[in-house]
Amino acid sequence: MVITLNAVDYAIILGYILVMVLVGYALKKYMKTGEDFFLSGRSLPQWITGLAFLSANLGALEIIGMVANSAKYGIATVHFYWVGAIPAMVFLGVFMMPFYYGSRVRTVPEYLKLRYNEATRGLNAISFAIMTVLMSGISLYAMALLFKLMLGWPLTQSILVAAVVVLLYVFWGGLSSSIYNEVIQFFLIWLGLLPIVFLGLKQVGGFAGFTARIQETLLHSIKYLGTSNNPLGVDWFGVVMGLGFVLSFGYWTTDFLVVQRALASKNLNAARMTPIVAAFPKMLVPIIVVIPGLVALLVLPEFAPAALPTADYNSALILLMKHYLPNGLLGLAITALLASFMSGMAGNVTAFNTIWTYDIYGTYIRKGRPDAHYLKVGRYTTVVGIAISVGTAYIVKSFPNLMDYMQLIFSFFNAPLFATFLLGMFWKKATAWGGFWGLLVGILTAAGHFLLYKLGFLNYHSDMAANFYQAIWAWTADFVVTIGVSLFTAKRDPKELVGLVFGLTPKPKAEARWYARPAVWGTVAVIVAVVLNVIFW
Amino acid sequence: MTDTIETKDEGAGMKQGHALDLKLPIGWLLGGYGALLTVYGLLTKKETYAVSLGINVNLIWGILMLVVGGGFLLAAFLKKTRG
Repeated sequence: MVITLNAVDYAIILGYILVMVLVGYALKKYMKTGEDFFLSGRSLPQWITGLAFLSANLGALEIIGMVANSAKYGIATVHFYWVGAIPAMVFLGVFMMPFYYGSRVRTVPEYLKLRYNEATRGLNAISFAIMTVLMSGISLYAMALLFKLMLGWPLTQSILVAAVVVLLYVFWGGLSSSIYNEVIQFFLIWLGLLPIVFLGLKQVGGFAGFTARIQETLLHSIKYLGTSNNPLGVDWFGVVMGLGFVLSFGYWTTDFLVVQRALASKNLNAARMTPIVAAFPKMLVPIIVVIPGLVALLVLPEFAPAALPTADYNSALILLMKHYLPNGLLGLAITALLASFMSGMAGNVTAFNTIWTYDIYGTYIRKGRPDAHYLKVGRYTTVVGIAISVGTAYIVKSFPNLMDYMQLIFSFFNAPLFATFLLGMFWKKATAWGGFWGLLVGILTAAGHFLLYKLGFLNYHSDMAANFYQAIWAWTADFVVTIGVSLFTAKRDPKELVGLVFGLTPKPKAEARWYARPAVWGTVAVIVAVVLNVIFW
Repeated sequence: MTDTIETKDEGAGMKQGHALDLKLPIGWLLGGYGALLTVYGLLTKKETYAVSLGINVNLIWGILMLVVGGGFLLAAFLKKTRG
């Protein structure tokens, strides 16, 4: 399936790389302090942090994977958006952000230190640092693999070129470069993929074409969730608790990669609005993933009913690009994928930078140095982080299924962490060691469940169901152990917890005007998500 | 806590930091792509568009991107002249 590009396509790809490097260079002169480099000087307006918040998650792997899911599971894929994202994003903005932004912490582990203790912070900082370099390696490897298959570019050269471009702009502009790239990527993804949606709908005859020619079970989001006997292999409990509650809240509310974008906001109201601004375009993402997935079933010979058992679903989007786009728009669509791989990698590298410099280096290795020292360490950590990513890219090469691998990492680290945060922010009796042991047992429970499943002691209808239930078990273990240990260990002085815990923190007096309030827009977002669920029932 | 709305966005009165207006690079990039695709769309023959159901999508999408890119540049320009 090699695609041939012409000069116009290459001009579009090079234009993007040039603009990114220039933006990084232009940001260089603003990077005077650690806060500038790691948190964009807490100065960005909410439309920028909001779009970056969304794009940090809208990586190319995500898009390719969700188009594949849509071809495989049909409209039920919308659960990853309307159930598995919107409620968590609104909850983060309305209820949790006052404690994150209000306490002026610079990282997620730093909050854990203030709320629990140093050990809890260390456990989270180290596991998060490992997770980010693994994820960054995945982005890098997936991109190189795609370009090798699609364009015939050599694997090693693709990895090195992408690594150098990301290195240049993150080294110069820190988090700002990363965020600016994400916002540009947001527009490129929509502009690059919408032509496929329009041409696909035109060819199959619109939604009527879907209902006439696609099997009924693929066209409903909720109707067939009564039992796990549906294309997804998961029942309503797994979807609501596993995806909608544990995995989604775990990812959106505790993953520093996304939370860091909100912390870069210029004030508390903008920080709270960040995930809510992101929620609206997030609800629309199914347009560019679900429709192409269904179109693929109808127009591509590779996905004809007879070929389905052996179909490689992950190739659906690329095949559609080749099927519909002439040179010119083809270059634009490839640039959109390139941009989202690079911003996925840059996002992980900047998060790694910050955690390493503040929570590991600045805490355990060299404490109390002047700010300029940490700024310098941050810059050079970029180089190290990217070098490690290149290394992990070659490790990832030995894993056959990238999406499974990613979901697995999330259910290990994010799912239990959400219980620790929920109790930390909303239950003032959670103690320091309760937090630590809860988190540790949660991670170990995920590991134990994974082993039992792989060894065949546990059975589910699909790997996805296994992931959902793994997350539920890890979360429950963390929740129960945190409460149990808290009942028997020393409580913290409530005075130390002001600003960190609900009920001990005074409400901000000067609320924004009603039309700018997070609670108002959060409610609107939830209502729209419910209406969408009903329409595609 | 500064939980109030600032009437000026990332304009001159804000805390200093990242004064680079992101609307400019977005506008130039998308506008540039639009111009390139429009010209390319005008120059290419009908056979190029056999894949896209016979529609000259480069021309249509090029004009759309010119408008979007131009919109960002205009917004950046208006802010600069007002601020």
